[in-house]
Amino acid sequence: MYNSWLIAFREFKERVTNRSFIILSILGPLLVLGLIYLLFTLGGKTQKHWNVLVIDPAHLMNNQMLSKEDKSITYSFGDAYLETKDFEKGKRFQKFDAFLEVNEKILTNKTAFVFYREKPSSTMKTRIQYHCERRLEELLVKKFTKFSIGEFRKIKQPLTVGFRNVYDPNDTSSDVRGWVGLFYGAVIFVFIFLFGMTILRSTSKEKSNRIVEVLLGSVSPKQLMFGKITGIGLAAFLQFIIWTVVIGVGLFFLRENFFLDALDTVKETANSLMETGGESNQFFANKAYNQFVELVYERINFTFMTGYFLVFFVLGYFFYGSLFASIGAAAGSESDGQQFVLPLLFLLIFALYSGYYSLENPESTLAHVFEYLPFTSPIVVMVKLSLGYATGKGYELYLSILTLILSTVVVLNIAGRIYSNGILQFGHRVRFKLLWRWMKK
Amino acid sequence: MLEISNISKSFHKKTALDSVSINIEAGEIFGLLGPNGAGKTTLIRIINKIIEPDYGYIKFKGDVLSQKHLAEIGYLPEERGLYKNMTVEAHALFLGQLRGLSKSDVKSKLDYWLEKFQIQDWKKKRIEELSKGMAQKVQFICTVLHEPKLLILDEPFSGFDPLNIQLIRQELLVMKANGKTIILSSHNMESVEEICDRVALINSSKKIIEGKISNLKEERKNNEYAVKFRGSMIAFVNALWTGFEIIDKETLGDDTFIVKLKMRGDNHFDDLLKVLIGQVKMEAVWEVLPSMQQIFIDLVQTKQEADVQ
Repeated sequence: MYNSWLIAFREFKERVTNRSFIILSILGPLLVLGLIYLLFTLGGKTQKHWNVLVIDPAHLMNNQMLSKEDKSITYSFGDAYLETKDFEKGKRFQKFDAFLEVNEKILTNKTAFVFYREKPSSTMKTRIQYHCERRLEELLVKKFTKFSIGEFRKIKQPLTVGFRNVYDPNDTSSDVRGWVGLFYGAVIFVFIFLFGMTILRSTSKEKSNRIVEVLLGSVSPKQLMFGKITGIGLAAFLQFIIWTVVIGVGLFFLRENFFLDALDTVKETANSLMETGGESNQFFANKAYNQFVELVYERINFTFMTGYFLVFFVLGYFFYGSLFASIGAAAGSESDGQQFVLPLLFLLIFALYSGYYSLENPESTLAHVFEYLPFTSPIVVMVKLSLGYATGKGYELYLSILTLILSTVVVLNIAGRIYSNGILQFGHRVRFKLLWRWMKK
Repeated sequence: MLEISNISKSFHKKTALDSVSINIEAGEIFGLLGPNGAGKTTLIRIINKIIEPDYGYIKFKGDVLSQKHLAEIGYLPEERGLYKNMTVEAHALFLGQLRGLSKSDVKSKLDYWLEKFQIQDWKKKRIEELSKGMAQKVQFICTVLHEPKLLILDEPFSGFDPLNIQLIRQELLVMKANGKTIILSSHNMESVEEICDRVALINSSKKIIEGKISNLKEERKNNEYAVKFRGSMIAFVNALWTGFEIIDKETLGDDTFIVKLKMRGDNHFDDLLKVLIGQVKMEAVWEVLPSMQQIFIDLVQTKQEADVQ
């Protein structure tokens, strides 16, 4: 065991002092943060500018939608009813991307239609709806109340009606949470693949430069394999921690410095149309970013999820890692090994799909099967955990863990046999028949 | 020290070792000889517990060989490598600790060996900065660092220049003098003859012979002698009578020759001296024993011929 730790420590040291590891540990999370920043800030700015024709025969809007110019949308007004065919082909309408039909019924049925040429992005939809809604609010307040719009917005309280399952009053099983579970599972599999390939390359390298026979004079092949997987796993884990900490701190930093929470109702109610119009880019970026941060910081039970995440990360890593190691040891040459990675890669992709499938159909029979299959359980259980197990079904989680532990022990043993038999074989072609023979020895 | 008893090992349908038994005494240098593919490396791997035999057993100092004995064994494989990006010191620490040494022990022993080979400035160098021969020296040091009682060297001289071969030979003799047991697998017959006490020859997975080098040579001598003399070659030939047959001749300068001859009938060394004294000026006369190389070739070829028949 001590020798396995020595092997693991050497492997760990080699990985973490490797230039690419250091670069990836620092630049990787910074790159992710940069992408998040760009996604939420430039997302709105880089959007196509829209010309929207507001068809308002009843002159409800008074030829005005925004008092300040919005860089993304220019509204023009028309007072004659417009048929979609005319809009589609009429020369004078070609400059418009869409037309918004506002008729007198809007005051009662609160419905307006936008006819577009190209499908608008979700942000563009939100913008048009938001502008329309705010303008209508002004009109309604003016027509039916004695308040000024400023006063109205002070007393107006946005109301959110949440629909909750009586069996899950805390809404632990919302779709968003399911996606979080899928994300956790995907992280497990991305790390398994990245560091599984490292295991394979490291094994092939030791084999091809012949240091392996020197090592085997001191440790058994199984100890060597276990040490190698553990060492590389520790490096993977360290990198994961660095990523988590840097991204976590970075998200918080972005929230505090770049995306102040504009959705805060206290701040918002005093805003008039005048104020919000010109700032809408930043406004919508903040809105989207804060929803994202809220998801990351407030809706995920990190302690609970991370605990199980670690269990499945470690078990899944050892399960797949031993397979990668046995391929590296069995291959006659490095290129031979790459070829045998394909089936494993398919398994990993299939596992990712099984996670998505379980998110969409959590109670299906197939999802239950995936839950217990060691190839798929790390991701499927993470999805199920985030969706929440039904009352009385908690045993499924422990059964999955038990199945995965047993499978990992069996696979470590089988992979150990292939590793022991293959590690000193050179220049041969790997065939399944040969692997099968080594498995039985 | 090491009792190898009836070891057999097959890989799929190919037999690598067939009931091989060898006894290696403590404090001797034992040569393991054989052509490529004979099964030597398989036997060495079995002794190092890298692979398990199908049949037979090995005893180390009277106990059945187990993993715990590996700390007392040093192994330098034929196909050896090092981690290219690690320093000499890091390597020694890693491999020394794997063999059960503490960090401080490794450091002091490494200093001793680096000083002995006068390569102290290599300590912090990375392996990729060293030449092949330099790396071989580091490998040798890493193998002996933990002062093993049994040292197994598979082709230890390959990759070394003559100076370093001599250096390693001397070190092996010092280790032998210090009571270490050494198993040497090599095709370098000159070195085998010079430093091995006993040898075993493995061919086609079977042990063909085992014994002291002097005994093996004695058993296979062919009644041949060599005479180094000054004088006339004609006078030398005339002096000989039908009881002797010249089989080889070497001319050294104008009037100095070395002639190899074979005794016929019941003639002895004394008879040879009698006929030559007074005819030529003899500088040396010695019995020609077969070299290990010759014994090796003869035995392997005989076996091949027997297999063909």
